Amino acid sequence: MAMTQRHLASELPIVHRRRWGAWLLGAVALLAVVTIVHAGIRARIVNLGVFADYIFDPLIVMGAVNALMLGTLALFIATVIGFVAALMRVSGNPILVAISSTYVYLFRGTPMLIQLIFWFNAVPIMFPSITISLPFMAEPLVSTPTTSLVTPFLAALAGLSLAEGAYMSEIIRAGILAVDKGQRAAAAALGMTQRQVLTQVVIPQAGRIIIPAAGNQYIMLLKSSSLASAIGYLELLRVATDIYSSNFQVVELLAVAAFWYLVMTAFATAIQTVLEKVFPQR
Amino acid sequence: MNTAPTQTHAVSVVGVSKKWGPISAFTDVSFDVPQGEVVALLGPSGAGKSTLLRCVNHLETISAGRIYVHGDLIGYRLGDQALYELSDVEISRQRQKIGMVFQHFNLFKHMTALQNVMSGPVHVLKKQKAEAASLALALLDKVGLKAKASAYPSELSGGQQQRVAIARALAMQPRVLLLDEPTSALDPELAQEVVETIRKLAEEGQTMLIATHDMGIARDVADRVIFMEGGRVAEDARSRDFFTAPKSDRAKQFLSRLLPAH
Repeated sequence: MAMTQRHLASELPIVHRRRWGAWLLGAVALLAVVTIVHAGIRARIVNLGVFADYIFDPLIVMGAVNALMLGTLALFIATVIGFVAALMRVSGNPILVAISSTYVYLFRGTPMLIQLIFWFNAVPIMFPSITISLPFMAEPLVSTPTTSLVTPFLAALAGLSLAEGAYMSEIIRAGILAVDKGQRAAAAALGMTQRQVLTQVVIPQAGRIIIPAAGNQYIMLLKSSSLASAIGYLELLRVATDIYSSNFQVVELLAVAAFWYLVMTAFATAIQTVLEKVFPQR
Repeated sequence: MNTAPTQTHAVSVVGVSKKWGPISAFTDVSFDVPQGEVVALLGPSGAGKSTLLRCVNHLETISAGRIYVHGDLIGYRLGDQALYELSDVEISRQRQKIGMVFQHFNLFKHMTALQNVMSGPVHVLKKQKAEAASLALALLDKVGLKAKASAYPSELSGGQQQRVAIARALAMQPRVLLLDEPTSALDPELAQEVVETIRKLAEEGQTMLIATHDMGIARDVADRVIFMEGGRVAEDARSRDFFTAPKSDRAKQFLSRLLPAH
């Protein structure tokens, strides 16, 4: 009797438990999304014709290109600054450690917007003119008023790079610390100099570790380039606001700007994905 | 170059002590290792064996004494008043001829087995890549891993990783090979293949200094045992004599705990 039952049981289909709760929650969420989209369409929140007119407007495209340039350049400079600050931080020398930590504290601890305004407005007040002179020459080599030197682009680039450099230094420091000590000991034992240990072993391994975090920072920087609108740099947001302040198509132009920020984010994500494929963590 | 009186020895450790602040790792350790000898450093954990090995290639600094490898004073320059620590470049030059194998293998994770073995000749000795690659392949063949040349460390077993690590050290043609608990992180079966590799090197006359808990290495591969306990050398004997007739009480205790059958 027991034998037959066991035999039969092996031929019965197996039915797994359904997650009814999750499906119910999903239905409610879908209903909420449909309601909101429907309300938006009924109220005609976006004039798609105006959106289409401006999406490839030369000024808008120029603004997007400027934003991409500013964010990308700032990332490269920030990486260099961050690398130097991270090396200072892990050097063990108390003076270098103190300078690096103070830099990170100041530039990570104040709003980026304040820093941008500082470079553009405060620095020319503090140093009205910049003079570079060479020894044994009566006339200075260069002497110009600071205001003509500090363009909105340079001020934005300096502000974003220095602020981002503080974040990058912490990311790079974490990457360096994540490289096992044994890796360094093995490299040193082979006869590599400290510099070779760094270039052959520590940087290649730390580099792989920091790719996801650095990708995140790149996306953040691309969007933070919109802060430069406050100091008159003609990036995407500035161009869009300039246009809608004359034609009052606020929603459409903000949507156009948002669209291009999404394109930039997709670009950054693609670069990150490729880098993670080419340099996998082993 | 500073020339020691004991120039014929591969390694001379002369009255060496190591302290971390008030804590002493080992005190006044002295011994000479002739060329071609295989020495096992035995002793309970914390006896200072690994630290002593790391002092021989200056991965750790010393607090007193001197260490010579083939007559070169390691890590320091003899001045009138003191021993002055050498520069980074000078120390790395000394390390080129001292191979090291680690408990946890420490293969470079971002390099294949072949690239690991090539890394010393290419980056340190500045050899041509093709020349280094053929040497590296020959060494991988020697440790039985030619087929794994393009595998990354994460794709290899512990025993395979350790054999690649041995090949990497051999690629520098070291005059002395330091092995820091080479089998401690391996289960017995994988440890055995590493022991066989070390035995082969011993038969070829490679001078080796091996910190180990592995009785197979100490009894069957090593010519000589230096038994350390509490930061001092408690016994220094031929391997056969050490295992059959230990002189010190410490060594007797240690062996009775490890080899209850004997």
